[in-house]
Amino acid sequence: MAITSLYLPPTLRRPIPFAPRDHLRREKAIELYEAGEHRAAIDEAIGYLLLPGQPAPDLTNTPLCLVQGTARVRLHIEDERLVVRAVLGALSMEGSATAALRHFLSRLSGTGQLFQPRLRGEVVSLEFEERLTLLHPHKLIEVVQRLAEAACNADSWLAEDFGMQALDREAVQALDEADVRMALEIWRTHWAAVEAMVDEVRRYRSSALLNRVADFAYSQVIYALPLNGGLPERLNDANTIYSDRDEQPARRLAILSKSVKEARALPDGDLVASLGHVGYAINPISEGNAGLLAKVLSGSQREQAIADYHAAGRSFESALYQAVDFLYLLAWFVWPPSVEEALREALDQASGRPLREAADLMRARAAAIVRAHGQGEDSADAIDGGSAFEGAWQ
Amino acid sequence: MTAQVFDAIDQLGVFQVYTGNGTGTGFLIDERHLLTNSHVVAPYREVAVEMRDRSRVLGTVRRVHPRRDLAIVELERPMTERVLELADEDVQRAKQPVHILGFPVGLPLSLTEGVVSHPRQLLDDQVFIQTDAAINPGNSGGPMLDDAQRVVAVTCSKLDAAESVGFGIPVADVRAFIAGFRTQTEAFGLHCPACEELIAQPTRHCPNCGTRLDEHDDCGDFFRSPDLQPVSEFVEAALRAADINPVLARHGELSWSFYRGSALVRIFCCCADHVNFSCRLAQPGRSGLRELFAHLLSHEHAPFFFDLNGSIIRFNHVVHMADVFTPSEHPALIARVGEFIARADAADDILIERFGCQPAPDTMIDRLDSPDHGA
Repeated sequence: MAITSLYLPPTLRRPIPFAPRDHLRREKAIELYEAGEHRAAIDEAIGYLLLPGQPAPDLTNTPLCLVQGTARVRLHIEDERLVVRAVLGALSMEGSATAALRHFLSRLSGTGQLFQPRLRGEVVSLEFEERLTLLHPHKLIEVVQRLAEAACNADSWLAEDFGMQALDREAVQALDEADVRMALEIWRTHWAAVEAMVDEVRRYRSSALLNRVADFAYSQVIYALPLNGGLPERLNDANTIYSDRDEQPARRLAILSKSVKEARALPDGDLVASLGHVGYAINPISEGNAGLLAKVLSGSQREQAIADYHAAGRSFESALYQAVDFLYLLAWFVWPPSVEEALREALDQASGRPLREAADLMRARAAAIVRAHGQGEDSADAIDGGSAFEGAWQ
Repeated sequence: MTAQVFDAIDQLGVFQVYTGNGTGTGFLIDERHLLTNSHVVAPYREVAVEMRDRSRVLGTVRRVHPRRDLAIVELERPMTERVLELADEDVQRAKQPVHILGFPVGLPLSLTEGVVSHPRQLLDDQVFIQTDAAINPGNSGGPMLDDAQRVVAVTCSKLDAAESVGFGIPVADVRAFIAGFRTQTEAFGLHCPACEELIAQPTRHCPNCGTRLDEHDDCGDFFRSPDLQPVSEFVEAALRAADINPVLARHGELSWSFYRGSALVRIFCCCADHVNFSCRLAQPGRSGLRELFAHLLSHEHAPFFFDLNGSIIRFNHVVHMADVFTPSEHPALIARVGEFIARADAADDILIERFGCQPAPDTMIDRLDSPDHGA
């Protein structure tokens, strides 16, 4: 079946607010720590991390519970020590306890991080404990952020894979009926489209096309659907192989094909069970910035690639190439509303259009977005530079 | 010839030299002295020399020639390995086979082979033997042998921008350097890079020709203690507190390793934020794995922890860099490191005896079980 257009549905994920951190708070936390006001420093450092709308930390008087996805990260002070703990679950006698323990030891324990999984009775938690005098804000921020991220990633798939009993987890909020219908539609249409693209990769025998299809397959589904549990974990496992540029193309294609087949065969009930909204105390994804926009949506290499596709009449590859760039920015970064809207609008306009038209449209939209919100190519390297971004958008 | 050299490779007096900057090779010129490159030891006056059984002895740098890139290290005890003979004269012709011994990229003693590409290549106003034999980081200071197993040069460098272009310091220069050392009465001597006068006392300028020493090839650095980074200061203070000589533990830049009992403890920085203490202990057995894994994950090990790295059980401790820069807390942190080292030493016995684990390949259990251990 010839591919005549791209399907680029809107997201059903709840938006994460764009709230750049107030770095002065972190500086203030360091000043408090150096002045020996350790408790105040801890409150300030945690306050620095939190998204707007979270209660101000007051750990001297009240333990704190941060909800990160389905994880609850609990913090309290005990005997002049800060304890941070997130329960992952309880081992089950019937489940694969040995496999679960091996997973924790080989995948969650490790050098290069300050928190570790710990076993108390049958309950496994991610834990960190330290004297207040040894809690420099940089250290504390790193621990809380990374522990929350790890706990969030280790959600209900542990129960699915290892038969663990979920404990102290935040409930997932179900989607309404209309969104469930939409999610099912997105899932079916997306994977049918990817299957057709895989056929194109086979016809063209092109690694470059395989790269783009692989990126598209994973980014779009992660961007569009609020997935939880074992399903996104399995998608991610497959993606780490089929998107790996160092892996043999034949193996990548085989894994991608298998992943598509499994996705298409997934019963509706299983997908619905994986859908749900969660909240975040700490922004789980990176903040986008003007330099990143410019780097992804402009540049002579990109322009040349698109021009080459057009000259060769390869509209499908041109449209896919550009759609993947937009999806990358939307799936993995949080943006100010005006930028988010502009990025989304480009995909809305391109979705369902003839490929050549969609490619031209996205090219024009990318240029307009960079003009309005990005920076020139000269500053494209400043992805991590917060200052340019703050100057542009704050 | 190759077979002969291979047969004898472990008997030869060729050893790995470690400092806080990196690692290189050295070879015995007599039972107490090792010859290596000056750049291997610079700017340290004390280095670690690793034996075949991975134990280490302290080496004291006695003489250096930074310009000719040679150094002599005195070992704290005599060695029994074979002292290599120096060739009588420099290599005269191209295409003569050469055999290079050393520890490329930190691997165990290895032999590479090639031929002399040029017997007297002039570079930077100095003569070198050029060879096409493979030379890698870690080979520096090692012997370049002829077919009769005599040293014809000391491996010193290679061209990064070219394939198979390596260099050695000709044996005539090596002989002259050793001959000078044999008559040396001072504890330490450094050759002036300009006039080659031997300088024994700290000085800014050469007493003979007036050359400013600190402008030349680490010359000035040999007369002062190397500046340690804060991380190194912290780690080495912790090692001293645990009765471990930090010089013997140095394993290159921001890296240390040492044995405590049967446990090989490694200290390394994986990023700008963490100092990791890690000890490869054992491999799980075939049964009782749930109990073993539950033990490894037990909260009772905090603040330390076990992990599974491939099939190896490691015992670990992580110190955040922010703590390294909090000197007021160093006594507590150093005590914690001491506790970690003590527990690491005991942990493998527990894993093996209680949980049926096998020793990790690089533990010293075989050596400790040998009859002469403790003699």
